[in-house]
Amino acid sequence: MMSELEAKALLAKYGIPVNEGYGASSAEEAAEKARHIGFPVAVKALSSKITHKSDLGLVELNICNPGEVLDAGARILKKARGIDPDARLIVEAMADPGTEVIVGAKRDPQFGPTVLFGLGGIFVEVFKDVSLRVAPVDRPMALDMMGEIKGYPILKGVRGRKGVDLDALADVIVNTSRLMMDEEGILELDMNPVLAYEKGAIAVDARALLRD
Amino acid sequence: MIGASRDPSKWGYKVFHNIVSNGYRGRVYPVNPSAAEIDGFRCYPCVGDIPGEVDLGIVIVPASTVLKVVEECGAKKVGALCVITAGFSEVGPEGAALEQELKERAAHYGMRMLGPNTMGFVNNSISLNASIVPKMPPKGWISFISQSGALGLSLVDWAIGSSLGMNCVVSTGNKADVSEADLLEYFEGDENTWTIAMYIEGLKDGRRFMEAAKKVRKPKLAIKAGVSQAGARAAASHTGSLAGSDMVYDAAFRQCGVIRVEGVEEMFDAAMALSTQPRAKGNRVAILSNGGGAAIMASDACERRGMKVPELKKHTKAGIARLLPAFASVKNPIDTVAKSDYDLYREALKMLVEDKDIDCVMVIYAHAGFTSAAEPAKAVIDTIKEKYPKPVVACWMGGREVSAVASMFRKNKVPYYPVPERAAEALWSLIKYDEYRKEARR
Repeated sequence: MMSELEAKALLAKYGIPVNEGYGASSAEEAAEKARHIGFPVAVKALSSKITHKSDLGLVELNICNPGEVLDAGARILKKARGIDPDARLIVEAMADPGTEVIVGAKRDPQFGPTVLFGLGGIFVEVFKDVSLRVAPVDRPMALDMMGEIKGYPILKGVRGRKGVDLDALADVIVNTSRLMMDEEGILELDMNPVLAYEKGAIAVDARALLRD
Repeated sequence: MIGASRDPSKWGYKVFHNIVSNGYRGRVYPVNPSAAEIDGFRCYPCVGDIPGEVDLGIVIVPASTVLKVVEECGAKKVGALCVITAGFSEVGPEGAALEQELKERAAHYGMRMLGPNTMGFVNNSISLNASIVPKMPPKGWISFISQSGALGLSLVDWAIGSSLGMNCVVSTGNKADVSEADLLEYFEGDENTWTIAMYIEGLKDGRRFMEAAKKVRKPKLAIKAGVSQAGARAAASHTGSLAGSDMVYDAAFRQCGVIRVEGVEEMFDAAMALSTQPRAKGNRVAILSNGGGAAIMASDACERRGMKVPELKKHTKAGIARLLPAFASVKNPIDTVAKSDYDLYREALKMLVEDKDIDCVMVIYAHAGFTSAAEPAKAVIDTIKEKYPKPVVACWMGGREVSAVASMFRKNKVPYYPVPERAAEALWSLIKYDEYRKEARR
């Protein structure tokens, strides 16, 4: 697996917006980076061996001052190193809340790269409300994918609730397809969640599984 | 035919017999070193002894001698091979190694190869039955590619029973060389094939299949069997766990214009409509019925599948109202209140296909005993003959009297169904075909 930092660097290379983030080897360094980014920040474990960070309590969100970064950083680092001795920390700018969607990709043994889109959070956990295409996915196809899911009205805006930037999401989908077509070493890619706003979208968590 | 046998209990006899007893007009050479003649045909000890040129070698010798036969065929410059012999990749790694060698040797001599482990093929346009199905299906425009030999064969039998016409039936076997993609390319160029039906368990090269299917402009239908999640491994990502193979097949089929159907009946119901009717340019359906209940069920069946049963144009309504008793109201679905004579059905149907707000028509007749099932059927046949650029499907509900009408419909290329749900599903496939075609082209 790629570390989150590596995965996000790869996304950025393909024009997919990610939130600002830095690696840190100690809680002190994490606090330093947090000061540089500006508060609030998120502090998470950075490891290429740990997949489900939040389930393991290795994520702390909305931290508002350096002291809390020191505490959270020390706690997370200790716990994470119990699993992966090489684990570090990642400090990221907290993104504004938005509509959570998932954009993912998988290399299918028969069809090659495929791209997946769905509403994030409980929608993907419970309803599995997702759509899929075999890459390459172009813009009209990406818009079709969004239109296909049952939760589409949520994206479009319903009952006075503003819709999200479908064009920005289409860009994320198309760029994910491009990435998968180019980077043959990537087996699976998950951006969960991507936060969609009235204007723009940003991938706040990313996971990339590499070929053995 | 290499491995032709005199023993009627052996496949080597059955296949040979099927080739020579179904009206194939080409030359047939049985090859078997220990027989002088089979079924009155002179037998040759080996391929090299055959006097003339050979286009196709059908191989049904034991697996251990297949390679030797392929060498002989290569030396004789045989055009292509159909290897019915089993005992290759389907039996394990040793068989897989043998299959690889078989594939390489055939390719070395430039011979394309169907199989191994195929149950053969039927090509109705040249009356060639190189398969183990004893009877040929009636001639038609549907060609069927089947990964399962037994299923392919049973469908031929089924087609005979339901007098559904078929052009080719090909059992792909292990697909060491010729795959669905090759066959799609072939059927695109085959003027006797109008619709391609497929039974697929797994594709070896999904991308190549998609490329081939995208180029085919004819309607394509597929059953993809094995939809369970059993193959999905515990994935590290959400995408990994969500994007199971079934979902990928769904997407891939759609992207290359293949309509996925669940089962055999649905496939042939759709194929019947797709191989006889013009494409549907939209999803607005008009329903004409001699009974209210059937009409309502048909509307439900259409709407459930995403079709619309909209209001008719004023002009159409007025025209149809003239044909009906004063108390009948003219809405869509149209209930003729038990009237089903030729003129009524003929006139009403004509007005419906001419209505610009309607894309396709379902005509229903529910048999009551005191009316003729054939009269309204003739009206449908006569209307379709006029070649309106809109699909019409027929739903004739009833028993014995209706089965006589069924064969009349088949003869006249009217897609016929015994219940409204099946007629609706067939209409839906016509609409989807048009949608998918646009998507695949984009």
